[in-house]
Amino acid sequence: MKLGSGLQRAQAFLIVATALYRASHLMVGLVAVVQHHRHRPVSWAVLAVAVACSVLVYGTARARGWFNGRTVWADVLVTGCALPFAAYLWGGAHEAPAIAWVMVLGGSSSAPAAVVLDRAQAVLAVALVAVTHALGYSLVGAAMAVTAGHLNSVVSSAVLGWVFWWYLRRQGTLLDTANEKAKEAEAQRARYAERIVHHRALHDTVLATLTAIAGGGVDANSEQVRSRCAREAAYLRRLIQQSADAEAYPEAGAALEEAVRAAECLGLSVSAQYGEVPSVPPEVAAEVAAAVTEALNNVLRHAGTGRAYLTATGRDGRLVVTVVDRGKGFDPELVTGGLGLRSSVHQRMRGIGGAAAVESVPGEGARVELSWPA
Amino acid sequence: MITIAVVDDDRMLLEGLRSWMLDVPEVRLAAAAATVDELLGQDTADAGGAGAARAAADGAGTADGEGERERDAFDVVLLDLVLRDGSQPPENIRRLRAAGSRVLIISTVADRGRIVAAIAAGADGYLTKDHDLDTLVTALQDVAAGRSAHSPELAFALAHDQRPDRPRLSPKELQVLLDYASGLTLKSTARRAGITPNTAKYYLDRVKDKYQQAGRPAYTKIDLALRVREDGLDAS
Repeated sequence: MKLGSGLQRAQAFLIVATALYRASHLMVGLVAVVQHHRHRPVSWAVLAVAVACSVLVYGTARARGWFNGRTVWADVLVTGCALPFAAYLWGGAHEAPAIAWVMVLGGSSSAPAAVVLDRAQAVLAVALVAVTHALGYSLVGAAMAVTAGHLNSVVSSAVLGWVFWWYLRRQGTLLDTANEKAKEAEAQRARYAERIVHHRALHDTVLATLTAIAGGGVDANSEQVRSRCAREAAYLRRLIQQSADAEAYPEAGAALEEAVRAAECLGLSVSAQYGEVPSVPPEVAAEVAAAVTEALNNVLRHAGTGRAYLTATGRDGRLVVTVVDRGKGFDPELVTGGLGLRSSVHQRMRGIGGAAAVESVPGEGARVELSWPA
Repeated sequence: MITIAVVDDDRMLLEGLRSWMLDVPEVRLAAAAATVDELLGQDTADAGGAGAARAAADGAGTADGEGERERDAFDVVLLDLVLRDGSQPPENIRRLRAAGSRVLIISTVADRGRIVAAIAAGADGYLTKDHDLDTLVTALQDVAAGRSAHSPELAFALAHDQRPDRPRLSPKELQVLLDYASGLTLKSTARRAGITPNTAKYYLDRVKDKYQQAGRPAYTKIDLALRVREDGLDAS
């Protein structure tokens, strides 16, 4: 099960804590009915209604992650206010010990009310429960000490519930803020590391080439120097575009860029375009980049063209990478001629829970699409 | 014969383009300038520089005195997206269109937001500067003939436009756009979508038209008058 944020954890804990509180009171009710009111159908009905209200309140809270104000109010009004009178009027509970279990049950509706409702509503709900219970106990002629003790427990369970919630919520929020900061720092570090990688690459490529040309030792117009310049210009172009477009998620972008540069070193020019790439785990980024390397190598070896196109985008939260060439193409039915491409790319992507699609028509180039998750 | 002008503040590129175009009989490079002001002859402060740039571009042998007449005669202006004079691309494009030229954008870096804005402002195509001469000439011919010059970079920018007020595209238009953006040829793009290459091109044109229409809303009389002037529908 996913734990969620600190706030969600605090909420889950409070739901369980108040549910246990209510469950203990339902247990008291069950024991009281079995021991003393076994032959009164109304007592069983009162207990059943209390169980139904509890399921409504805690069931929806558990399913949705937090209480719903309306169900809490329903519980306050039915379990808290109405049931004691029902037990008195039709259940024959005319003295204090006979009605006590219903009162105790109703008292536990004050805790979620204090936690969930806003301050004015919470005060109103707790006051309502306290007043009806005081009235109920006076109807059965209970001793002052019994009434006072019960009212004390109604109010203190509300106060305790509220204090717990206040503390847990504060801790949860603090935890979330700290996590957010840690994540931001991690992203900062990753961006910095990426920049260092780029600086090194710039030093080894563009700077080295410019220095050589400026020194006058090489013929800048030779085919070799020009193709090198073209590749390095493409690298600079992507570098600028990436920093302009790419958001804070460097994992996939950096890994793909490495794959592109490796192919460029082997003499392939790659037009790479990066959209808003979603954040992916590092191992996914590495495997996708490895699959891209295989696809680019395949272009180099078999496509008979010097150019490939790469796009990396996010679509509905998925990472989608395409590698396209406009070369010779092949018949996908015939898996020969070193086209282990399909099986190896498929295997890689399946291994990380992604998918690969390889399409080609003879004479029309090829298209490899990698997506994660599948 | 297509008459073109180029606005770019990179002297090396201007020189390179001039020598390139000497070998292309279908295209005549009639003027070169560093800014739109300079090209449109409004740059009084630097008239000498403008004249010099123009003369350099006209080195192909145009007789003196023809410069004035040529000002209105550019079929296509190649416009660098980001100029150092700080002028805004959409404004540059509108002024060139108002002067009667079609605009093909060239740039070093594919900056998606700027590309989208340029198309919305009335540019008919977009190319990065790393394309070869054939691609450039084809694009110039397309734009001069009133068609659009498509490139994977342009398709990518339009396909991944995230603004909330972007024009609505049909699923088919989006598919064609995405596939063309991924680097597929028009033919392969069409085959994937199960349509003819002509239809695929039509879809790409229609997406561009949607952006241009969205970029020029005509709400008021003044806007309408401006549009008439932009479209060259008035007497001039």
